Amino acid sequence: MDKQLIYPMAEKYQEYLIDESKFSGTADSISFPESEAEISMILKEMKRSDTPITIQGGKTGIVGGAVPLEGHIMNLREMNRMKEFQRQDAANGLITVEAGMSLAKLQEVIARETRKNPLIWPPSPTEGTASIGGILAAAAKGTGAFHYGDTRQYVQAIRLIDGRGKVQYLDRWVQADSYLLDQILGGEGIYGVITEATLILVPDYEEKWGISFFFKELSQTDSFVQGLLAADEECQNNIIAAEYFDKNTIDQIEARKSNMAKIKEIPDVEDGNKHMVYVEIGGSEEEIERTAAILMELAEESDSDAESAWAVSGETEIQKMHAFRHAAAETANLLIEEARRTEPRITKLGTDIPQKHKTLKEAVELYQSDLNSEGIDFCMFGHCRDMHLHVNILPKTYEEYQKGKEMIGVWIKTVQHEEGKIGAEHGIGKLKKKWRDYILSEEEQQQMLELKEVMNPDGIWNKANIFGDE
Amino acid sequence: MKIAVCIKQVPAYSEGNMDEKTGLLIRTGLESIVNIYDLAALETALRIKEQRESCIDVYTMGPESAGQAIMESYALGADRGFLICDRAFAGADVLATSYTLMQAIQSQGTYDLILCGQQTTDGDTGLVSGALAKWLGLPGYGGVKKLDITGNENLRIAQDMGVQVLHWEIKGPCLIAVDRDIYTPRMPSLKLRMKARRKEITTITLQDLEDQDSRHYGLKGSATRVKKIFPPERTRKREVQQPEAKAAAGLILETVMNDQEAR
Repeated sequence: MDKQLIYPMAEKYQEYLIDESKFSGTADSISFPESEAEISMILKEMKRSDTPITIQGGKTGIVGGAVPLEGHIMNLREMNRMKEFQRQDAANGLITVEAGMSLAKLQEVIARETRKNPLIWPPSPTEGTASIGGILAAAAKGTGAFHYGDTRQYVQAIRLIDGRGKVQYLDRWVQADSYLLDQILGGEGIYGVITEATLILVPDYEEKWGISFFFKELSQTDSFVQGLLAADEECQNNIIAAEYFDKNTIDQIEARKSNMAKIKEIPDVEDGNKHMVYVEIGGSEEEIERTAAILMELAEESDSDAESAWAVSGETEIQKMHAFRHAAAETANLLIEEARRTEPRITKLGTDIPQKHKTLKEAVELYQSDLNSEGIDFCMFGHCRDMHLHVNILPKTYEEYQKGKEMIGVWIKTVQHEEGKIGAEHGIGKLKKKWRDYILSEEEQQQMLELKEVMNPDGIWNKANIFGDE
Repeated sequence: MKIAVCIKQVPAYSEGNMDEKTGLLIRTGLESIVNIYDLAALETALRIKEQRESCIDVYTMGPESAGQAIMESYALGADRGFLICDRAFAGADVLATSYTLMQAIQSQGTYDLILCGQQTTDGDTGLVSGALAKWLGLPGYGGVKKLDITGNENLRIAQDMGVQVLHWEIKGPCLIAVDRDIYTPRMPSLKLRMKARRKEITTITLQDLEDQDSRHYGLKGSATRVKKIFPPERTRKREVQQPEAKAAAGLILETVMNDQEAR
């Protein structure tokens, strides 16, 4: 190799041993390839020494999927170019980008290319620095998941280099490819590295509003959410996202927002408000007005003051509210980071369990009562429409960490017993392998292992994700 | 108290594009927002209204689409909105803009207080408020970063003069240009945003002004022309170092000490 592609690990690469899960590992070398050809060269080199490779994008995952346990780290940050933009008609478009492009950059490029008739790529994880490759590997959906559905349906094609070194191009137009594509997306890199993706774009709404409702009591919040879930179909179709924030989350964001450029101009939530529900709506002017009127009535019936509800419009202001939502996860991660300074064994402890058959009140009270009885700090936020709340346990000691971990186990088992299957959206990675049997059925696991055996027989790519020992 | 607030719709972000012929910023296709400094001015007016019975009128100059900025002001609590819109007003510089604003404000009577943002995020001259005060023949206070509205009829302000802060007790009528940090603008209210859709916006054209000579407005009435818009050249070299942790700590300490000595 003329150009040095592989660097031995040194102190300056320490940040690549950890991701947002705050779980950390170890590695012998690292690379930052700029092309598929360079990836192939690095892969060849690693295969020669039988060295496992951990793929990294934005390192924003929270189950340790991008954390190496040994071997080589391949970070795709240099592969961040747009390859092609195709406008098919006013309502459709495709964009091909390299896997290391961040979501924020993708959104910026799409906005620039589609200024006259705006299009969007619907998956909306709140972390803008997440890479497209990472989003596809986890099939991450974000706050608009209930409205827009599975991320897979917004992917037309991918290029992937599998464990045999074979470059695969899988396009949805080919039926057999389509099946394979859906298997690989969400596969957490256990079949190979995605190098580029062609993404399906859809029309953006003519108008969007982001409305934040505030409540003093959980029962009032619950009544509002129940009303929202029971609203007519037309109203439902115009609701893009509905996100819940508890008081602890709001307090944590407010305590740190002066250091967060995007949200420091959002005023504090009025004293006395203990719960917040952010509802994003989209549609034509009439649809927006109708939906907003229904929500306002629901809020008033639930004793929330519509006069003090925030209602922003326009992309810039909506983005501010997305940053607020993202700050919920970010501040929880910061607290974990702080706890790690005295107890390095602590990692992120968050739930990822939809409780579709529970009301908001039932779900919140269940978590609250368990955590309060042990005296462990926590914060809670997440998607209201499928009651997919993310309870972030904030242990201060290893003992609390262990108790929190046990608690999550009990919740997972209970929900699996009550609801059948756990649809975790953060993936399994390395931190949730213990709960794999509750997240994936036996049949799903079998299919994944069979495909892995074909595409990545030596397990060189992301060896420690999903399968193997905890 | 009768308060007029001058606001401007500006691009949410700039790509620095300029029409070579006219020297005007190209705004087509860019998302527009209310100038952040003007939101601080409106917030100041709303705080006064919370203390003293007041009526807040908002003025904005621009194309029809600038009416959106008035709708936004309604969602925040403004009472009436005036859109100063006429082809004759297009392409105005500081002189022509301030003259047009004066004519428009005077067409609606007199005010106890005129509030402006200190500057805009697009033109960025910071001169319009001062020129407007001159045209209106009112005392003008720029760079106001604090306002005390409790107490007697007068207003107490803190005016940032760069090296010193002046504290004044003033009375209307006058013009105040506020710093963006004076208050954190409130969030628009859902109820007010819903009502805003049914509220009227009054359009003020050249025909509504006392001076109807089109040579005094827009490009024709401007004393200056923009020759070029370009991002500032980065001349300062930045050293990038990737030292080990201990060496990095030493370097940071050294930089801070040097900086303090230089001051």
